[in-house]
Order: sequence, then structure tokens, then C-alpha cells
Amino acid sequence: MAIIEEPLALESGQADIAERPLGVMTRPQEGNGWRDWLSSVDHKRIGIMYGVAAMFFFIVGGIEALLIRTQLAFPEQGFLSPQLYNEIYTMHGVTMVFLFIMPLAAAFANYLIPLQIGARDVAFPRLNALSFWIWISGAIFLNSSWLVGGGGADCGWFCYSPNSGVIFSPSHGVDFYAIGLLIAGIASLVSSVNLIVTVLNMRAPGMTLFRMPVLTWMLLVTQFLLAFALPVITVALFLLLFDRVFDSQFFDPEAGADPLLWQHLFWIFGHPEVYIIILPSFGIISEIIPTFSRKPIFGYSFMVFSGIAIGFMGWGVWAHHMFVSGIGPISVLAFSLSTMFIAVPTGVKILNWLATMWGGKLRFTTAMLFAVGTVGMFTIGGLSGVTHALAPADTQQTDTYYIVAHFHYVIFGGGVMGLMAGAYFWWPKIFGHMLNEARGKIHFWISMVGLNLTFGPMHVLGLQGMSRRIDTYSEGFGFAFWNLMATIGAYIIAISVAYFIYNAFRSRKEAVDLPNPGPDPWDARSLEWSIPSPTPAHNFDEIPTVESQDEWWHRKYAFDENNNVIRIATPEEAAQKGDGEGVHLPSPSFWPLVLAVGLPLIGYGIIFNLWLCVLGGLLTAGAIYSWALEPVDDPNAGHGHGDHGDDDDPDDHSDDEGDAVAVGADDSAGDA
Amino acid sequence: MRKHNVSEVTTSRRSLTGLVVLLGLALAGCAEDAELDTLKPQSDVARDIDGLLDPVMAVAGVVFVIICGGVLLISLKNRVSEYEELDFPEQTHGNNTLEVAWTAVPAIIMALIAVATVVVHLSVNDTEANAYSVDVAGETESWEPVVVVVGQQWWWEYRYYFSEDITEDDLGDPRDLPPADIVTSGQMAIPAGEEIELIISSRDVIHSHWIPALNGKRDARPGFWAPWKLDSDEPGVYFGQCTEFCGVSHSRMRMQVVAMTDADFQEWVDQQMQPAAIPAGAEDYVAELRAEGTASLGDSDSSAARGLEAFVSNCSSCHLINGVNDLTYNGATVESGSAPDLTHFASRTTFAGGIYNTYNRDGSLNRDELSAWIRDPNEMKGNVADNLGDGVAPRGMPNLGLGERTISDLVAYLETLGPKPSDEVIAQTEVD
Repeated sequence: MAIIEEPLALESGQADIAERPLGVMTRPQEGNGWRDWLSSVDHKRIGIMYGVAAMFFFIVGGIEALLIRTQLAFPEQGFLSPQLYNEIYTMHGVTMVFLFIMPLAAAFANYLIPLQIGARDVAFPRLNALSFWIWISGAIFLNSSWLVGGGGADCGWFCYSPNSGVIFSPSHGVDFYAIGLLIAGIASLVSSVNLIVTVLNMRAPGMTLFRMPVLTWMLLVTQFLLAFALPVITVALFLLLFDRVFDSQFFDPEAGADPLLWQHLFWIFGHPEVYIIILPSFGIISEIIPTFSRKPIFGYSFMVFSGIAIGFMGWGVWAHHMFVSGIGPISVLAFSLSTMFIAVPTGVKILNWLATMWGGKLRFTTAMLFAVGTVGMFTIGGLSGVTHALAPADTQQTDTYYIVAHFHYVIFGGGVMGLMAGAYFWWPKIFGHMLNEARGKIHFWISMVGLNLTFGPMHVLGLQGMSRRIDTYSEGFGFAFWNLMATIGAYIIAISVAYFIYNAFRSRKEAVDLPNPGPDPWDARSLEWSIPSPTPAHNFDEIPTVESQDEWWHRKYAFDENNNVIRIATPEEAAQKGDGEGVHLPSPSFWPLVLAVGLPLIGYGIIFNLWLCVLGGLLTAGAIYSWALEPVDDPNAGHGHGDHGDDDDPDDHSDDEGDAVAVGADDSAGDA
Repeated sequence: MRKHNVSEVTTSRRSLTGLVVLLGLALAGCAEDAELDTLKPQSDVARDIDGLLDPVMAVAGVVFVIICGGVLLISLKNRVSEYEELDFPEQTHGNNTLEVAWTAVPAIIMALIAVATVVVHLSVNDTEANAYSVDVAGETESWEPVVVVVGQQWWWEYRYYFSEDITEDDLGDPRDLPPADIVTSGQMAIPAGEEIELIISSRDVIHSHWIPALNGKRDARPGFWAPWKLDSDEPGVYFGQCTEFCGVSHSRMRMQVVAMTDADFQEWVDQQMQPAAIPAGAEDYVAELRAEGTASLGDSDSSAARGLEAFVSNCSSCHLINGVNDLTYNGATVESGSAPDLTHFASRTTFAGGIYNTYNRDGSLNRDELSAWIRDPNEMKGNVADNLGDGVAPRGMPNLGLGERTISDLVAYLETLGPKPSDEVIAQTEVD
């Protein structure tokens, strides 16, 4: 446990460059202006950008939800025309899945993985920036369909063929859907490779895989799921795009194609996708519950293995989305059974969280409220999911509001509540001040009321026979009352989101008069709490050497001979000071942004005019080329000439003795 | 700094939320006017499904109480408002026995549920060989009750073949089906108490045929004939809704199953196999039409007769009426693939894709909505009936821009295309 006693001799950050080493290109320098955010390759800034953009799209998707619910509040309403309704419910689903919840989880993954494993950045920082810029280009492209595409996609987020073909969906909406998701998919795929390499290769010394926090484990499994699932949807979207734009016949029943091909491809992606959505939240609450129970996670290895099991088993259940599609009774039976058994590892997790709380000392901070709420709400969604697994029963349930109830409980009640828990928990680490706790609790309660009032009645509606994806319903079927309740609930959810945003801004304003929360306001357990809040640019002054699970906790506490907990250091004593210097950080770059901008241009070109493809292609290709050519790391960044003593060649380390260098593992992040 | 904490409020609010959800689920079984209710099975197969679901729901309810109740109790019992220095609970890391137990026990419960599921699944997918006697044009046929179901945007067609045993292999392209004994739409008539096999497909996109009281749903997929079945306990009208998103009028694509006594069903078959009634005064016109291929009614005082002529001029390119523009008309094969067969329009209690009632509660014809439908179908239901060009096919009923007199004549003619169903069936179709 080496702590730096004195500040190092070198200045951190970047000095003015005296000359341009390669004569043509230099890397931009890190700073705080808006342009520096555009060129940043810092995983923390990228995480924040993902988070802010995701919240923006949460509002977009939320407005779409309110429009849906307003239309359905009363029977036979004409508030939205059927065509517009179809566009709005499609875009609601696409926005919430691809533009809100996945990037918000990515925000946490980007921000926290390096910190939790004791690294200074991810394996490929420029690639990390690329993922963000590609994702947001795809997001903007997809939504530009409202302005230039003749409306949103109107085929449902699942976009079944043949309805998705040009004959039945003639507007450009579906083209924007296909290309937008293709672009956004590149982002997640690239990011998954980046994070897998990061976790496998860049852990601090002593951090074996089984000393990693559960969150890092769940995020690692998520990245593997992304890496294998995204290519499948990519293929499906290419086939769809080629059918629509180039008259291919992959999904054309007239040509003998089976429309089920789309369904299989979509759901082979789609089912692992829902585990991609939920595992990050599972990881988040696996950090929060132990912290606020004052005991370790119960059954660490079982938590890890059940996460891996869910990852594997998630590939074997996809056709439970297709029970009534005519795949044949033997297939239906096989998937029905596999779907039942995937409930087992999930149940193990829920019981382990309960067991963590059992006998613990529970402090109900806002983060803990959200985390425990996640457990409860996900249980409800999971149980309705088990009832869907019964294939004969599912012939009544599928395509009704009973399914809508199920997935909103697991995605909103499970996924979103978990991410909100994470927001409250890590806010001080990210921003250097806490989110106000009193307002946080109000936010929690409004959310709970809203979510249950919106989605609880949908169980009833579905069992009473209300189909999904209908723009209206008739008076006589008994759907009116609960639809109205669900609409009221939706507006309550909207209030809760607005309140959260208000809390975020107000807390920031109030923080000016409050003391810094310090490195570890929660008395938490993992390495991100061993450094100052907000996280210094270089993360760790010194890469820690890890000796156990919950490494940070063990730097504060130990056990005496009677097995009682004793304190060995306060957080202020044990934490790193944040004044470490001489750390080489990966240099920023604009090329990821430029590359990303080329992709939507190609997209517009495919839809409107192929010359745009040329332009976009040149931009992207040019960016790739320039990316490869820009200097790997400006050798003068971080210190000026002469700082290495009589150092004519900074790469010659033979005369480094006497230079203060950070101890521990390789401290400079890779740069790719 | 607040000394008391909100956890007590936390837990009671959380139990209230849970209660609301449970109450809601309970209320599911109590609603009136819940014609699509899946929890009120009215057939053997729907009962099998419900019989599987109910105990599993009960198990789920117990698990819900254990887990969420557990969360509540643990939260209540172990909460503290602040942490005191070194006030730590026992730092348990885990318990392998417990882990094995709570992996094995749920797995065993699932295995038991799986066994029950297999049994019901096999039963639901099994069809019994059945022979039902029906008199067709004076001959007794042994009909293996099969109804061919074809979905298209945005209505359902039902075809009956009595003389031969129809299977998936006989059917081929749904736009080019072998001529049927009866073709009707929107309402499927069946003898009550019999197991009816369905063979389901689509002429365009994927739809899904669902009559909740009688069975689960089955997708209508273009290029494929899906086998399914339903049965019914008693005569009555059972409601359904298309349940796979199929475009702009997905919400307005409905259907009903009208289960009848054996006697009523026989009567229905006899009536449906008749050609359409010809209004008085139009007999010569029809005879000439069928012989020459063209005819003129001249002036007529009969609104229905004028309506028949209006039908021929405006509607016959899509709609078929047996006896007017059917198979034997001018030697050409004309089949209503693009629009519902109207031969016995007034014998059905709904129209426009099963969404509007043909008759009012008092048994009179629903003139207002029928006229409105003919006047401007897009007001009544979303259609894509204008030719959009670029290979985009028109679907649904077009707005023909007909004058009021023509419309009222057409309505008068449609009213003759009975026979009018019983008051009982009319009453049972009313849902508002």
C-alpha cells in the first residue's frame, strides 16, 4: 500500500508546445472549453456525455410516451391519427431502448470500469470517443426522420416483415430506422471490444477477475452480449435495407421468402438485448446494497456465475417472442422450457440481494431506496415473465398489454430504477457534490407511484384482452378505466423525471455553499472511492495494488483477533490525494468526431442521393487516415524539454534515475 | 439533520403499491363488459390454458409475497438512520448450502411447472379427428369441421369447404384459393360444442387471429398455412381482435365467432349457400346482366333495385355477390380476394372488419353508420385505398365519392342481402 509522500517534481497536464514535432499535425490539448469536450478521449468525459445525451433522449421518448398515453386515455379518441400513433409508438420504443437506456448504462460503464479496476482510462481511448460520436450521430440521424423522412418509422420497434417493406411502409421512416440503428450499433460494438480488452488487460496489479467488483463483472458480461448480439441485428437491418433500397427479396413472401426470417434474426439479437439492458442495473445495485447494508455482497461467486449463466442462457430463449408465429409445437415447447429455466439464475441474484440486506444495518439513502425498489419492481416483472414462459398461456398473453406490463416493469422498474440508484450513488464522484437527499427521496416516491400506477393496470388490461399496438379501443370492452389510470400514472412519471432534473440543477447550485463530499461520502467498498471527488483527470495518483475483494473497504477497516471490525484509516487518510503528477494521459483527438459525422451523411445518401454517400465516405475515410497518421502521443505533452534532466531523447530511459516517476504498474494508458 | 427516517413511510407505501397491483390483478376477473377477457374461458381449450395459468399465477403470487414481503420486513427490521462508528453487522460473505438450496428449489418448482406445461401444450396443439354431419344442397356431407381463415388488411375472410377434406397442402396461395362452398367475412359461424380446426394465412402482412374466450391466438403469416383450433361450450357470440400489428387499421380489424346450435348451423349453411336475394323489379336486369355482361335497370321505384345497379357500377370490381357477379358471371372467374364477399351481408351482425354493428339494438338496420361507411370509409377506419403509385398497393375501402341517393339505394340493397340474423345474435353483438 504505497502512498506518495511528497508531490512529484513534474507538472501534470500539458505545457505549451514549443514546436510541432512532425511539422503537420499535433494533437489538441486537454482543456475545459466546449471544443475540448468534442476532442476529449477521457473516459470520464465520454461517460458524462453519454449520460447527458441519454437523459435528453429519455425526455424525447417520454414525450412520445405521454402522447401514446394521452391518445389511449379514453376510448375512440382522435387525438393522434392512426398513422401518427404508429410512428410515435415505434419511435418511443426505439428511442427508449437504443437512445436512452443503453447509452445511460454505457455512461456508467465508461465512467466506472477504469476506476473500479484501478486503471487510468480504457484500452483504446480514441475508439471510446468514436463510440460516443458514432452513437450520437446515429441518434440524431434516426430522429431526423421526423423532419426530413416524412415522419418517424411506423413499423413498431420490432419492425416485422412484410409490413416493413416498401409496399406496406412506403415512407422513409423505416429507412431511417434501419440506417440509424446500423450506425448506432457500430458504436456499441466498438465499445464492447474496447471495454472487454480494458477489463481483461488493464486491471491493477493484484486485481484478479474474482476480486473485481460485481458491477464490473456484470458490465463485462454485458459487453460480451453486445459483441455477439449486435452483428445479428446488423445483418437483419442490412437485409431489410437492401430489400427496401435495392429491391432484394430477403423478406418478400411473393418471392418465396419466409417472413419469420426477420423475426428470428431480430429476436436472436432482441433477447440478449434485454439482458444487455438489465445486467448493468443488476451490477449497480450489487454495489449499492452492500454499501448501505454495511456488509459484503452475499455470495459473490454466485452473483458472478449467475450473471455469466444469464449471459449464456439468454441465447437460448429467443423464440419465446414467437410462440404464436407458427414455428411448430416442438420448437415452441423447447423454448418454453428454456425460458422457464432462465428464471433460476435471476432468482438466485434476487435472493442474494435479500441475503445481503438480511442482518445488515440498512441506511435508506436515496440510492438505497432506488436499489431496493429495483429489487421489488424487477421481481414483479420477472414473475409475469415466468407466466409468459408457459407457451399455452402465452397464446393468450402475447401481443397484449400483459406483455407491455411485463417489460415495462423489468425495464423501467428494474433497469431505470437501478440506473437512478447509480446516479444518486456516484453523483458526488462524478460531479464533486451530492444530489440533495431530501429531494432525492421525493423523486423516488413519485417514481414508484407513477411507475406502478402506469404499468400495474396494464396487467389487468392485457388479461382482459386489450391488444398491443392499437391506436384506440372501443367503449364496450371494459378497457377505459385502467387506461385512464395508466395515463395518469404516465404523467406522474413525467413529473418524477422533471423533478430529478430540477434536483440535478438545484443541487449543483446549492453545492457552491457546501463542503466537498470528500473521496468517500458513503463509506463504500470499491476503488473509485479511494480518490478525490470529483475524479481527478488522471484518476489515480498511483495505481493501487489490490489484495482482496472490496479493496477500498479493506484499506479503511480490518478485523481484530475477536473478528470485530476495527478501523485502520479514515477515508481522508487512506484515499489518494489527487495531486499526483507526471502522469501521461492519452491525448485528445478530433478525428473520432469527424469520422462519426461521415456516417449519417452516407445514410442520407442511401435514402436521398448517392452523391452524399461519396461525400460521407470521403469524410469517414479521410478521418480514418488522419487518425492513423496523427502522432500517437505528443512527446512534449505533459512536460517541457529539460524535465528529464539532460534528456535529449525522452524515449531513452537509461538516465531516468532520479526522475520521480509513479510507482506501480504501467501508468500510461494506451492510445488507440 | 433529520433524526427520524422515512423508512417507515417507505415500507407502508411500498406495501400499498403492492396491494394496488394485486388488487388490479384481482379486478381483472371482475370486470363487466369484458368481451375479450382471457380469464373467462368458454371452451375446452381455453379452459385448459386457464387451468395451467391459474395455479402458476398463484405460485407467482406466493413468490411475490415472499420476496417483496421479505424486502419490506428486512427493511423495517434492519433500518438505521445513521451509521455509528464501527457499528457493523456480522460480515457474512455467503453460505454455499443456501445457494445450492435456493438454486435447486426454484429449479424443481420450474420443473414441475414444466411438466404441467408440456401436458397442456400437447393437448392444445392436438386436434381430434372429427366428423360432423351437414346437409349441403340436399346431400349429407361428413364435414371434418375446418374453417379456412385468411387475414388481410384489415378484415378476415372465412371459407368453408364441405365436400372435401381440406388440409394445408390443398391451399397454396391465399389469393388463389380453390372455390369454396361458403365465403363470408368478419364473422365465423360454427356449431357449438364441436372442435373446429382452423387453417390460417394472410394475403399481405402478418396478422393474428384471436378469440380470447375460445382459445389463444395464432399468427396469420403470408406464405404459410398455420393450423389452429377452437371450440365453444355454448351458442353465443364470441369477440376477437387482430393481435399482430398490421398497419394503420390494426386496431380496427376485428371479428366474431357465432356459435350456433346444430339446427341453427344447418339453417345458416342452407341460407349461405343460396345466391343473393334479388330485389323485386330487378330480376330481368340481373338476368340480362348475367347473359350479356351488361344491362340497364332503367327507371325504378325500388331503392333496393337501384342499389343493385349501383353495386354493379361501383362495387363489383372488388366485392362479389353470388348470383350477381360471381363465378359464372360472363364466363370469367371473379372472386372477392380484395374485398369481403357481400352475398349475405345482412346476415352478419358486424361490418367493415367486424367493427360496426349492422343492426341497432332494436333490430333496425344501422343506417347511419352503414351510410357513413360508404360515404367516406376513411372517416370510419384508416385505409390506404388511394393508389399511391410506385408499387404501393391500395388497401381498404376507397372513397368513391358517391352521391347521397346512391348511398341510400346501396344501403337499401344491402339490407336485402340477408337473411336477417336472430334478435338474440343481434343483441349479443352489442358491446357498448
